[in-house]
This record gives sequence, structure tokens and C-alpha cells, in this order.
Amino acid sequence: MTKEPQTKSERETEEVYEPSKATRIFIVWRKLKISELAVFGFGIVLILAVFAVFAPIIAPYDPNFMGTSMRPPSMSHFFGTDARGRDMLTLVFYGARVSLYVGLATVALEVAIGLAIGMISGYFGGIIDEVLMRMTDVILTLPTLPLLIVAISMFEVRSINMIVLVMGIVGWPFIARVVRSEFLSLRESTFVEAARSIGATNWRIIVHHILPNILSTIIVLATMDIPWYIFYEAELTFLGFGDPNSASWGVLLERGHLYLSSAWWLITFPGLALLFTSLGFNLFGDGLRDALDVRTSGR
Amino acid sequence: MTLRTYIIRRLIVIIPTFFFISMVIFTLIHLAPGDPVIAMVGRHPMSYEVMEKIRKDLGLDKPIPVQYVIWVSRLLRGNFGYSYVSARPVINMMSEKVPRTLELMLVAEAVSVVIAIILGVIAAVKHYSLADAACSLGALIGYSAPNFWIALIAMLFFTLWLRWLPASGTQTIGIEFASPLHAILDHLKYLILPTAILVLGWTAYLFRMVRSSMLEVLRQDYITTARAKGLKERVVIYKHALRNALLPVITYEGYSMGFLLGGAAVIEYIFSWPGLGQFMVLIAESRDYPTLMGLAMMIALMVLVANLCADIAYAIVDPRIRYD
Repeated sequence: MTKEPQTKSERETEEVYEPSKATRIFIVWRKLKISELAVFGFGIVLILAVFAVFAPIIAPYDPNFMGTSMRPPSMSHFFGTDARGRDMLTLVFYGARVSLYVGLATVALEVAIGLAIGMISGYFGGIIDEVLMRMTDVILTLPTLPLLIVAISMFEVRSINMIVLVMGIVGWPFIARVVRSEFLSLRESTFVEAARSIGATNWRIIVHHILPNILSTIIVLATMDIPWYIFYEAELTFLGFGDPNSASWGVLLERGHLYLSSAWWLITFPGLALLFTSLGFNLFGDGLRDALDVRTSGR
Repeated sequence: MTLRTYIIRRLIVIIPTFFFISMVIFTLIHLAPGDPVIAMVGRHPMSYEVMEKIRKDLGLDKPIPVQYVIWVSRLLRGNFGYSYVSARPVINMMSEKVPRTLELMLVAEAVSVVIAIILGVIAAVKHYSLADAACSLGALIGYSAPNFWIALIAMLFFTLWLRWLPASGTQTIGIEFASPLHAILDHLKYLILPTAILVLGWTAYLFRMVRSSMLEVLRQDYITTARAKGLKERVVIYKHALRNALLPVITYEGYSMGFLLGGAAVIEYIFSWPGLGQFMVLIAESRDYPTLMGLAMMIALMVLVANLCADIAYAIVDPRIRYD
């Protein structure tokens, strides 16, 4: 029973002044700045992105360099070293690369599929809509983590991209639902009718008239989904369904928890990294939702 | 349409959904790589003919749709089949695991609902106060923290460093020889950590939900009316506002069953809690088809029943709802 997102068409038809793209981004930024927490979240996300992109430059050691193993945090190793003597700080930096990639790539895939299915369902309706929505219902009914585990155990070779693929395929229904309901209401709006009356094609109406109106909703949903997929990848890896050769935070946690009693630093720091990532995206997403004036139902 | 016909109709809708889900899962499980017969035989070498015979006896040589029909017809007669690995009836294995998971989930759910409602109401009524800010911040962290990591940290503190609470299993070995009271207290000790971790995460979600829902309701005109006619603030908040604010929370609660089960699975695994979730993680990669199917169907059934309960509760609480 998802809430139908509020239609924005009434408000928008009254607007005469159409600001340029740059102005609109500026307006959103100014609204975002009202909430200090949102800016804080954005800051965290930015810092993480910097860590991920410049890991080879920032990291104090080479990720494969092996020194003394199992050293607690000290001045030479801020986060200590793991069982193979590798510097944990370096590994956490490199882990940001994998984990952020997983989050972003899965969300991109999820949005692509969800958008396509939601659009088809909402714009064309009828029997296609019925079939697609029953499918969506079934996937939404099934618990995500068990479903991911069943789907992943279908593959013999596990790579990070395969996990992204599976998570994207399992994750789209919610986006599709939201897109569909927005399309259902916008399809009947006056401006779409006007466009149709001057002979615009279906494709043109979808891309130029409806899509821009639901963009902000999608951006907010996507931002808030990123930490979920980072978590799911970490959880799957932790449970033994991940890619053991990747360097994600999940792998660090999975290896670290074997030494729980002797080396607290092995699980503490990758976990904190996960916590801050999620905090950053959630705060940023909350702020964006308020700034873009989007209504999302609780999840 | 009366409430009764509504419930009956919802029950009827569940049946095709259930079979559709079973079809999807059955196909997924059977398409996965790995041969169950080789998995059964294990390290013992066996001739090709014997393996073929086992395969034939189990009906694994037939096409997947035929196997599905056989599985369904057995299921309809109440036969979940027997595990390929342990040869035990699947239904017996499930009846051991389900109560464990339900125990964990119901306790955690009950505790988190109570805490979330209390804190949510306080935060909404005293909007923008220090209490509101503190609760919201706490919820934000609870909502953002990966619960399996919190579980590890809790284990580190309470089990390894402070040695207060056990972190693995459901009871101390040999406790069954002690008095029943001791056994119960001992079991509760094992229950604390996993439940507390689940409560932490769920309370954060529910709190956000209760708070925003309550804030929305408090802005409504009928609340102003209630206040204007001189009702006590307590009555306004608990009788007029809270009742309506809880409506979306009820639906959310029911519909998040699947999500909660997933979260509980990881916690069960970490704390070696012998429930459905831990079992799922342990056998997911085995090719024990009957057990996997039984497990998947049990989970699907729990989710469907929870959704149904949410719908029915919603219909009972909100008389405005149209039954269609």
C-alpha cells in the first residue's frame, strides 16, 4: 500500500517564469544549504568520493605491502594492520572504491530498469501494466536478502559486477512503482494533453514532458538507496556470498571478524566507514528531498 | 462489502501469489549449478549406474516443470519431502526453526514498537526541543549503522571484554538438568544480545515513521477542534492524534516483515541462533532441493501472512477504508 506521490502538475502549470538549468540547480543548492545536516551529509559523501578516487595518492602504504601483522593502531599505522600485515587505513581507503562503486553502479542499474518498466507500465497501461505490476508485487513481497542469496547461489563464479547485476535486478520494483504512479497522474495532465494535441509522439511526450517532472523524485530515491546496496554487498560478503577477491569493506569485515577476540581494530574501522557512508547519503538524501520538495513513502 | 468478505477475498488472492512465488523460486533453485546427487554422495566414490538410479528415484531426471508439478502435488497432500542430505522430513526441520525465528522477531518487534511509539510521540509533541533532536539523531545513527557490524561490536564489548552476556546459541549446555526457572533465565540471557541489536535498528525506522506521521496528524484541523472544545492535552494526543497517526505505522509494520526477516537472518547467523535465517545461510549453497524449497516457502508464507495481517488490521482500525 504505497502512498501515491503528490502530483505537481497543478502548481507547475501556473508558473510562467521558467528559470534556466543553472538557476534551478542554484535554487536547489540554496534550499539544501538551509539544512546544515544535509550539507554535512553532502560533505561526507564528497570526502568519501575523494578517498575513493585518490586512494593511490592518499593511502599511506601500498595495499599489497606487508609489514608486521596484527599491530594495534599506532602512529605508523593509524588503523593498525591486519593478519597479513597490511595497513588497515590503506585498505579502508581502497575499500571505499569498491563499496562506492557497488552502491553507484547498482543504483544506476536499478534506476534504469525501474524507470523503463515504470514508464511502460504507467504510460501505456492495460494488460502490460497488469502483468508488469504483478511481477513487481511478487518481487516486493519476497524478502530482499534471502532472495539475493538464492539468486547469487545460482552463479558459480562470483565477481563484484555479478553481485551488482543481481542486486540491480532484485532492486528495481520500488522505483518502478513510484515512476508508474507519477506517470499515471502526469499522463492525464493538461500539459501532456496539450503536447499530444499538437501531435507530439509518445516518445517525445515521455522524454520531454513527463520525465523532467519525475526526475527529482528519482534522484532522491536513488540517493537514499545507495547506502542500502553498499550494506547489502557487505552483508552478502559477510555471509559468504560475496566476491572474496574484491577489496570491499564487507570483505574486510568478513576477514576481520575471525580475529574478533584478538584484534578489535580489524572490524571497527571498516564498520565505521560503512556507518559514515550511510550517514552521509541518508542526510544528503533527506536534505535533497526537502529541497526538491519530493514526497517519498516510508521504506 | 463486509469485513468478513474482505478477509476472505484477500485470503483467496494469496493463493495464486504463493504459487507464483513457489514457481519462481523452484526454477531459480533448480537452475543453479551443482548436482544434488554428487552432493549427496560426497566423498564416497560410486558407480555411474548407482548415481543414475538415485537420480531416477528422486525424479531428478525429469524436466523441471514436471518436477514442479510433482512437488506441488505432494505439497498439497501436506508432504514437504525429505532432505537429500539428512533424509529427515523437511516439515520437522522447519518446525524446529520457525519457533526460534518467531521468538526472536516477536520479542524484538514488541519491544521496538513500544519504544518507538513512546519516543515518537514525545519527539512530535515537543517538536524542535532538545529531546526531539536527541531522539532524531539517535534514530539517524541507528538507521544508518549496519546491524551486523553493531552485532560484532556488541559481541566485542559484552561478551569478550565485559563477559556479561553469551553470544552464541540459545542456552548453556547442560542447563536442562537445572531447575526450569534457571533454564528460562539462562535462555533469556542468550536472547538479550540478538534481540537488542534488532531492536536498535527497527526502533530507528519505526521512530521516524511514528514521528513524521504524528507531526502530520497534529497539524490537522480536528486536533485544533479537539483542543478548542477544551479537551485535556493528554486526551487530544493519545486519543485523537495517536490513533490516527498509528495507521500508516501498522501497514508499514506488516509490510516490512520481509525486510525484518532479512535483517534477522544476519543476526541469527552471527549469534548462531538456530532459526530460519541461520539455516538459510548454511544450506543456500547445498543442492538439497526439498529443504531449500521448504525453507523458501516458509519464509514466503510468513511474509504473506504478515502482509495480510497488516491489511486486515488496517481495515479494522480505519473504518473509512474501502474494501477493494
